[in-house]
Amino acid sequence: MLYKILIVDDEAPVRDLLVDLFKKEDCQTVACGTGQEALNKLATESFDVVLLDIKLAEMSGLDLLENIRHKYTDMPVVMITGFGFDEELICKSKQYGCCGYIAKNMPVVQIIDTFKRLVKEAKEKGCSR
Amino acid sequence: MSNQVKDIFPVLIENAAALVLYLDLDGKVALCNKKTQSMVGLSRTQIIGKNWLKVLFRNKNSSLRGDMFKAVLDDALTYKRSKDFQCHLSGKNDDLRLVSWNITPILDKNDRVQGSLLLGLDITSFRERENSLKNIDDSLKNIISSINEYALYVINLDGLITYFGMGCEKMFGYTKPQIIFKHVGILHNVNKAAFELSLIFEKVRQSGRYESEMELFTRQGQAIPVRMTVNRFLDADGKLTGYIFIAKDITETKKLEYQVFQAEKLAALGQLSAGMAHEINNPLFVISGRLEILKQEKIAPEYREVLDLIDSQATRIRKLVDRILKFSRKSTLTLDKVDINQIIDLALPLVNDSQLPARKVEIIKSFAGNLPKVLGDPDQLQEVFLNMIINAYQAMPGGGLIKITTSNFENLYAQVQITDSGVGIPAANFKNIFMPFFSTKGKGTGLGLSICHNIIKSHNGSIELESQINQGTTFTIKLPFA
Repeated sequence: MLYKILIVDDEAPVRDLLVDLFKKEDCQTVACGTGQEALNKLATESFDVVLLDIKLAEMSGLDLLENIRHKYTDMPVVMITGFGFDEELICKSKQYGCCGYIAKNMPVVQIIDTFKRLVKEAKEKGCSR
Repeated sequence: MSNQVKDIFPVLIENAAALVLYLDLDGKVALCNKKTQSMVGLSRTQIIGKNWLKVLFRNKNSSLRGDMFKAVLDDALTYKRSKDFQCHLSGKNDDLRLVSWNITPILDKNDRVQGSLLLGLDITSFRERENSLKNIDDSLKNIISSINEYALYVINLDGLITYFGMGCEKMFGYTKPQIIFKHVGILHNVNKAAFELSLIFEKVRQSGRYESEMELFTRQGQAIPVRMTVNRFLDADGKLTGYIFIAKDITETKKLEYQVFQAEKLAALGQLSAGMAHEINNPLFVISGRLEILKQEKIAPEYREVLDLIDSQATRIRKLVDRILKFSRKSTLTLDKVDINQIIDLALPLVNDSQLPARKVEIIKSFAGNLPKVLGDPDQLQEVFLNMIINAYQAMPGGGLIKITTSNFENLYAQVQITDSGVGIPAANFKNIFMPFFSTKGKGTGLGLSICHNIIKSHNGSIELESQINQGTTFTIKLPFA
């Protein structure tokens, strides 16, 4: 197994797709749809990385990121968004301490490659920041 | 004439409010009245028998005036006719009075000159009043002509222009002789004139006044947006004799209003497109992702083709959404002091890529030296100029000339003008040209200019265009100096 990933996205089809895509990459995945669910999972299981949608239904992705950063200092978090490369969002995500940013409108192959590269870099640094 | 009246005659002369003098042939004063004495400040005995010039022009500075007066007097005597003359007279306390003189030779029975009668009226205060009126008149004229966005004209009850005042010639391009007694409809849209005017007259009849915004037309047929005020024109008896029109040119106000409106519209559209793009991106991601997984399965060749087609169409949507997001984004500017000339120079080599069909296009640069730098994002500005130059290129299917000029605009802005010699843009399209998805090219997304517009606006700059069909288009970009 390459990585154990916690996938957080409020849209089921997107969630399911991400699960299937990363299964093919020899990753283990756990998926959930809300920020609270994600915090519960993080409390009970250990993960290599969190893949987090910026726009969530209740707690926003950025709030969740801040929460995770607070409790799990070294946990790499990769943000994913449908807004494309919005500089404002990228800036905020970086401030809140994510290790990378993926746009859903990138070609699928590129999404997977970028994700893997980001996690590898984060692990090598030994720190998410 | 009765004796009584005859007796009073010398008394009248003595007390007349005019200067009266009788000179003999030697030019000595034989008679003078009270007014003369008080004006020159001498007593009768000091005057009688003296040379008239020494009486009236005692002052050294007045000898020239005396000489001129003498010439007129000699003329009157020589030709035996009455003459008029105006000159200043140094009175008591050396104050200058303006006097209007009449000189009449007095002839005897044999038609020989025996003396001359000088009659002088002090017209100083009259002239002063006249001058001050003239000054008021002049300053009014100056004031009115300096308010050049106003035009004032009057029509009679038949609708004929009877007064074409200050500002009218400038605003409408007609001279007074060209328009006086023409029907006022000439200044309106031909098709709307009757309707607009009847509306105005009705309103003025009802409430004494009409005020509204409308369009008037110059002699050249150019529309001018005006704020129009129409009032009744009454004669001295209060009878309606016509209408007074005051038109204020509101082109600049309209332009500003339009720009604000345009900016708000674009901002709203930006918000809408960002939301839409996000909503499209999620399902699109699912479609593309599922396709990717499906493509790795064993699939019959005929279905593989279909999958590829779905894939390519999904990619097309993805790219479109990408552009929309780019248009809608309030992207953070990475500001730096940049040299506009340099930015354009960097953009130019990028134009000659394979996307553009081969055409004979010549690019002429005319850059201002010592152009101060502007505060801007070099990458974004480069994108603007690249876009503009490609547009210019595409506007010339038969090839042509692109002129890129930079200049210092009033020490406030770096001005860049990109002129093509292409097909031009119809005036009807001007208002849509910066709207997203507006395209006449038949290809492309129609987002290029709206992205440029947004970038320039985020730099506090402006972008405007001028265009003539089949002659070309000029885009003018102004960016504030750092």
